[in-house]
Amino acid sequence: MEPLSWTQIFGQMLYQFIPVWVAIALVFAFSIRFKRKLGLYGKLFDSVIGMIGFGIVIFWILTALFAPGISLGGLTLVPSIATFDPLAQIAALKNKVPGTFAPNSEIVYLLGGDNLGRDVFSRMVHGSRLVIGIAPVATAFAFMVGITLGLPAGYFGGRFDTVLSFLSNLVLAFPVILLFYLLVTPEIQAAGSEVNLWLGKKWITSIPNILAAVLFAFPIIFFLLLWNSKFFTQPTKRNILVAISLVFGLWAYSGLAFNADPVSVFGMSPNLLNVFVSVVFVNSPTVFRIVRGLTLDIQTRDYVAAAQTRGEGSWYIMLWEILPNARGPLIVDFCLRIGYTTILLGTLGFFGLGVSPESPDWGSTINDGRKLLSIFPHPALPPALSLMSLVLGLNLLADGLREESLRD
Amino acid sequence: MVHWDYDGPVLDIQNLSISFFTRLHEIPAVMDFSCVVQPGEAMGLVGESGCGKSTVALGVMQDLGVNGRVVDGSIKFKGRELTEMSDKELRSIRGSEIAMIYQEPMASLNPAMPIGKQLMEVPIIHAGSTKSEAYDLAMQVISDVRLPDPERMLTSYPHQLSGGQQQRIVIAMALMSKPSVLILDEPTTALDVTVEAGIVELVKDLGKRYGTSMLFISHNLGLVLEVCDRLCVMYSGEAVETGSIKDVFDRMRHPYTQALFRSIPLPGADKNARPLVAIPGNFPLPHERPPGCNFGPRCDYFDSGYCDRGDIDMAPIEGDERHESRCLKFDEIDWDKPAVAKESTEAAELGNVVLKMDNLKKYYEVAAHALFSGGAKKVVKANETLSFEAHEGETLAIVGESGCGKSTLAKVLMGLETASDGKIQLDGEEIQNTPIENRPTSTVSSVQMVFQNPFDTLNPSMSVGSQIIRALEIFKIGRTKQERQERMLQLLDLVKLPREFATRMPRQLSGGQKQRVGIARAFAGNARIVVADEPVSALDVSVQAAVTDLLMEIQRQERTTLLFISHDLSIVRYLSDRVMVMYLGHVVELGSTDQVFSPPYHPYTEALLSAVPIADTHVEKEHIVLEGDIPSAINPPPGCPFQTRCRWKSEVAGSKCETEVPTNNVLADGHYIKCHLAKSSLDRMVPVIKVAAE
Repeated sequence: MEPLSWTQIFGQMLYQFIPVWVAIALVFAFSIRFKRKLGLYGKLFDSVIGMIGFGIVIFWILTALFAPGISLGGLTLVPSIATFDPLAQIAALKNKVPGTFAPNSEIVYLLGGDNLGRDVFSRMVHGSRLVIGIAPVATAFAFMVGITLGLPAGYFGGRFDTVLSFLSNLVLAFPVILLFYLLVTPEIQAAGSEVNLWLGKKWITSIPNILAAVLFAFPIIFFLLLWNSKFFTQPTKRNILVAISLVFGLWAYSGLAFNADPVSVFGMSPNLLNVFVSVVFVNSPTVFRIVRGLTLDIQTRDYVAAAQTRGEGSWYIMLWEILPNARGPLIVDFCLRIGYTTILLGTLGFFGLGVSPESPDWGSTINDGRKLLSIFPHPALPPALSLMSLVLGLNLLADGLREESLRD
Repeated sequence: MVHWDYDGPVLDIQNLSISFFTRLHEIPAVMDFSCVVQPGEAMGLVGESGCGKSTVALGVMQDLGVNGRVVDGSIKFKGRELTEMSDKELRSIRGSEIAMIYQEPMASLNPAMPIGKQLMEVPIIHAGSTKSEAYDLAMQVISDVRLPDPERMLTSYPHQLSGGQQQRIVIAMALMSKPSVLILDEPTTALDVTVEAGIVELVKDLGKRYGTSMLFISHNLGLVLEVCDRLCVMYSGEAVETGSIKDVFDRMRHPYTQALFRSIPLPGADKNARPLVAIPGNFPLPHERPPGCNFGPRCDYFDSGYCDRGDIDMAPIEGDERHESRCLKFDEIDWDKPAVAKESTEAAELGNVVLKMDNLKKYYEVAAHALFSGGAKKVVKANETLSFEAHEGETLAIVGESGCGKSTLAKVLMGLETASDGKIQLDGEEIQNTPIENRPTSTVSSVQMVFQNPFDTLNPSMSVGSQIIRALEIFKIGRTKQERQERMLQLLDLVKLPREFATRMPRQLSGGQKQRVGIARAFAGNARIVVADEPVSALDVSVQAAVTDLLMEIQRQERTTLLFISHDLSIVRYLSDRVMVMYLGHVVELGSTDQVFSPPYHPYTEALLSAVPIADTHVEKEHIVLEGDIPSAINPPPGCPFQTRCRWKSEVAGSKCETEVPTNNVLADGHYIKCHLAKSSLDRMVPVIKVAAE
């Protein structure tokens, strides 16, 4: 059969994305209708730049959500966006241009096939799941680490601050890519003694594992401090919140950091753990410095002095008086940082340090396509454009948020 | 440079209206504003924040930003219409013919350029002078603004100078091109009182010498009285009264002007016998102005159906020269009728001693390097041998300028710092070495503080009610949530705020309302001692009186000891029972209010009293301007701390002032000064403030 024309290809792609279009329309209609009641998020819809950024970001989030379709008990609620399984190969479509049909069938690869005969379009759509799944969570972890260390560094100052700032400079001064290579080298991963954990699970004291054990503990510490500092005056409420955080936190911690979740809900493959740890490790010093700077500024305010003069604890002042008032710049930085993280993930994938060799994440697919780029540009371009648009969207969103948070 | 012959008024503003345009609506900032400035005349623009006085100044400079626009009226500068000039013409006028001086001197100077270069730019750009001509002019102007050592000044950078010196440089820069009009926008608000007095004198003197007309913008009526010939009172975007100083101060013909004068503490006001009369209500927001008279809803003489019918024009007042008022009823009102006296209250009985400080010292060690703790250590002597007592129900005022150690005193008292030496006794218990985290809740809750800046005193991310409830929780008051909720509402009642405010966020409150919440929070734990750190200085005049009265009323009810920190001697005289004057960490004078405000004074108290501007034409003041700046606490002068600026120093034989720290010289029961002056010299002191007989 004749290959599809570009118009047909784009028409077909627009059609595949119908669930996303519908969902975006609903989100925008609802947000614009109630924008005066939605605080900073609502204000975003006053700025064209912010709306465009938000639109792009929400597009990729929804794509990630709907990529394989959603069905409940055999009933399809949302049809799948991806046309094929991202790993399925059709030998006849190897390196074929966009719109090519498989011989003697109705099967068509919208954006062509890659060097292993897999569908580029489906791989791009599925790739978003990895990026959208890892980048925000890794950034959130980096923020927890940066906040938990940055607040006391700024607030207490002194030697504690000097040591932490020195360490963060050290991390920042170390070449990032080299650091990644070190972390993912099999020798380094295997170096260390084996420790027996519960239920016959084992854990190796390698550098990435130890880093994970340290870094993943911060969210638990953060929430414990958060609840205890505020609600120590109401012991029942405090105990409930602390208990929930501890049970849930330690459960997730055992799975994520030690891969020893007793009920096997949380867990990460060693590759994913490496990527995650590296991203958190290189991002947290920057967050640390931002939080430290904001703390230095905000702690001179009178409401901080008022809290001190009524005898509040230091952690209450840091987490409930200073942190909420630093939220503006932190939210903006969070958006920007997800963008950086996305690029980092892409870079990691490109260097073959990605999640798994055949995973459809954008960085890896670009790297795969690179080898035949001069002959067949089509496998590398879609993931590259996707990566670019998501980062652009995040930057525009951050710009919009910054602009709107300054306005009245 | 554009110079043209013209001998009419320098600045002629007619029916000026300026609006700012936002996404949602047009916000009129100035409406129907007219004023004329003759050559050599100093015109004062007085009003509260948000009344549009700075907008007028920016309108004259034609610098309204992207949102602002002159929507109506004309601004004529020497007969030429400013609103129709091109950018090029405006550039040649700005900075050369019309110069402006802003509130923050540091923000007006380029921190990366030496002073001399910045000054020389002015004639080089505007008059095309050569470098050497510009240098000579800069030297001359620097000595005109009375800065010592002009050569060194020209080579130094802005951050190497003190605030007062910086403001003098800004004034010098404005004078470099000999402008016809000088616009001063709150030029002394950021400075200390004694420094302010020096700048005000300089501005007055330069105005005369250079023949410059001035537009002097201020919220302080006393300052305007000292500097200006005429003034214009603004309220909510409109000029409400304009005329010569004498007419407006003595024969005011607008209810707002009258209310303003009644709400400021002039000599003779007294918290018990003659309390201040606060203006009820709040300043209207620009898009919520009432119909007719803007002041109507807050006016005692308001006539519904008459005053709110339509726009009101300025009307001339017969018999006075160029005296106008924007009031329909100024002919009907009996202007001499005294204010409806609020019921006077009995002076509170003083109770037992609650707080006793004995030889308190607080030294800070400052390391030369923050990173590596080597190097020479410097010692900042923030507090030196403070001793005083405070009684139950008493108001003790602590007066002093920045760097005098009053904030450190508050910190040590609150337990945020521990004392280096000496004792603090609270109800007989020594607390000087107990930091706040080790103090029992009852001690913490009984010493509380009210802060200066209303925009900073409340956490912007927490509702008003939850902030008060948090204080109650920490002070362990109330057993259940309901009890605390009830107590929080009672506290709102106490500070006269509606109970709905509990759920509001701080940004929805005005400055005065925020300050009331701050007071409620301080009294949440039944405080015995409240340290009020300039609680009203950042508020508008009309709100100040209400907040001050509230504080006094609560104090009377709760029999709290109030430590009132302030640099404003008018308000101190109005409300305090005893006064403590501090300078560079020392208490230089302590006594009852009457004792401190009448001679013999400590020489510093004398200068301070003279420096405070008083908005009363009947007051005659001795003119004392202190030379130089307050020395740094890192490197205080040897001997008496005040000796570098004291004008009585020559009366003390030998070099006693330079070598020996004076001891307390007891003048009367409970009144002492730290001074070497002999009794004969002290007896020759005359009162600084004299109220002339009417």
